[in-house]
Amino acid sequence: MERGWKSQYSQEFAMRLRGDFGLLELHSSDGTVKALTDGQNAFCTVSLYSRGAQELGAASGAERAGWRPGAGAVRALHTQHALLSVRKFTDKHAWITTENGIGTVGISNFAQDALGDVVYCSLPEVGTKLKKQDEFGALESVKAASELYSPLSGEVTEVNEALAENPGLVNKSCYEDGWLIKMTLSDPSELDGLMSEEAYEKYIRSIEK
Amino acid sequence: MLIPVSVKNGFQLLCKHKVPRAGFKNMAKSGLVLQSVSNDVYQNLAVEDWIHDHVSLEGKPILFMWRNSPSVVIGRHQNPWQECNLSLMREEGIKLARRRSGGGTVYHDMGNINLTFFTTKAKYDRMENLRLIVRALNALQPQLDVQATKRFDLVLDGQFKISGTASKIGRANAYHHCTLLCSADEDFLTSLLRSPYQGIRSNATTSTPAAVKNLLEKDPALTCEALMSAVAAEYAAHHRAAGHVALIDPTDEALFPGIQTKAGALQTWEWVYGKTPKFSVNTTFSVSYGQSHLEIQVFIDIKNGRIETCRIDTPDHWLPLEVRDRLNSCFIGSKFCPIETTVLTNLLLRTCPEDHELHSKWNILCEKIKGIM
Repeated sequence: MERGWKSQYSQEFAMRLRGDFGLLELHSSDGTVKALTDGQNAFCTVSLYSRGAQELGAASGAERAGWRPGAGAVRALHTQHALLSVRKFTDKHAWITTENGIGTVGISNFAQDALGDVVYCSLPEVGTKLKKQDEFGALESVKAASELYSPLSGEVTEVNEALAENPGLVNKSCYEDGWLIKMTLSDPSELDGLMSEEAYEKYIRSIEK
Repeated sequence: MLIPVSVKNGFQLLCKHKVPRAGFKNMAKSGLVLQSVSNDVYQNLAVEDWIHDHVSLEGKPILFMWRNSPSVVIGRHQNPWQECNLSLMREEGIKLARRRSGGGTVYHDMGNINLTFFTTKAKYDRMENLRLIVRALNALQPQLDVQATKRFDLVLDGQFKISGTASKIGRANAYHHCTLLCSADEDFLTSLLRSPYQGIRSNATTSTPAAVKNLLEKDPALTCEALMSAVAAEYAAHHRAAGHVALIDPTDEALFPGIQTKAGALQTWEWVYGKTPKFSVNTTFSVSYGQSHLEIQVFIDIKNGRIETCRIDTPDHWLPLEVRDRLNSCFIGSKFCPIETTVLTNLLLRTCPEDHELHSKWNILCEKIKGIM
């Protein structure tokens, strides 16, 4: 089984496992997996949940070359299709997660912090068709009116109505209640071009210098 | 950010006409000062859009100075019905523009200078720009007490606002623009920026009213021309640029390809009024008719500048129910606009019975309705 992950002590990351049963993605309900490594071996505790928060199984243990003891739990997962995908990021500090072909889009913690208090969210109408990197709206904050750029191509299916009365949700809860829009993905392969959480963390560190 | 070669050359050509070669090289490297020859608010806002979208500002920031004939400019997410006296503006021929940056509502006339500081996103720094303006003012008048506030206003003598700020951040560029009150019509400003419209409920961003003063009142040396020169000189010194001010014509399509489209977009009803965040109006107007005096309540929801729901509550005995219902439904989908309302209500009146009393009540009611638009 291919081990397609890296980790550092207490760093959050997304795992992808390939095996006889095809490609699987394992994530906790908030998209994080915590692991330790000494460079040779992996020590990992994974708790797995479906969207409905029903615990499917947990795998734990030290591995030298794969996840054999964990395979049981992984196999159980295989039948589950309604898993949340890993969060991906754009260089414009937008994030997207997907579930059943619908993407949820928001801005990152770095972005909301840089923006300051959001006083108005200008979002598109449901049905608006967007191409990757298209302007889809703006956030007005004490800092400026900042344009929002679509991470992917697709059609807007839902807009976060709570932001009309409470634009501050973007600051308070940028990954949860402060989501901006939901959209279909007209070209899911575009996801591959986006940064993983780890890559995004690196990217932020590089621009902060 | 790539600039088409012709555009690049356009800018360079413009500068070449005005500046000796050695001077141009410096300017091209470190900064540029532009001044508009137009006083049309839409044309000037279009220049801002154009530079923001098309010009690479890496190592080459730009200062753009412009003045407009009397206009009211609202922020991107504002509600003009809440911010200004639209009926007074219509009477007086004052233009209404919605800019693409955030912030509040301002009045422009030839006694107000607009300064736009274009930089890359990384170099966006409003306080630096305001400090520059203060230095320029103090160069003209060392005793002048002008301070920048935490809200990025400029305040004179600790009490009077002489400048307000707004900004926009895009893909790679940002701009910070601000006003500077020199010799504007203060009384007119006050009456234009006072909305008479009642009962508006809205999530739009609001303005922060402030007492204002003209710099010229403080010191006769502080004319618009003197201020613009001083700011340009300070900008050039700060950026080690040549210090020449290049005059630009915002209607020059050769210099700014595509600018007429931008100017056009800024003038559409859909942008100026239609971009208003969803709002509702809940108000009452008094109608005197003959001996009777009645209160009519209205509940109107407006989305994208158009009426979504409408309830005009006339008493049953005053207007036939059927007429009232037809009036309410005819408004659905129409612009929240007195001109459109006139057309609509005139058309509808023709379908009503030829009844002098009904017609005169109708006209009174429609005038009142237009009065809240």
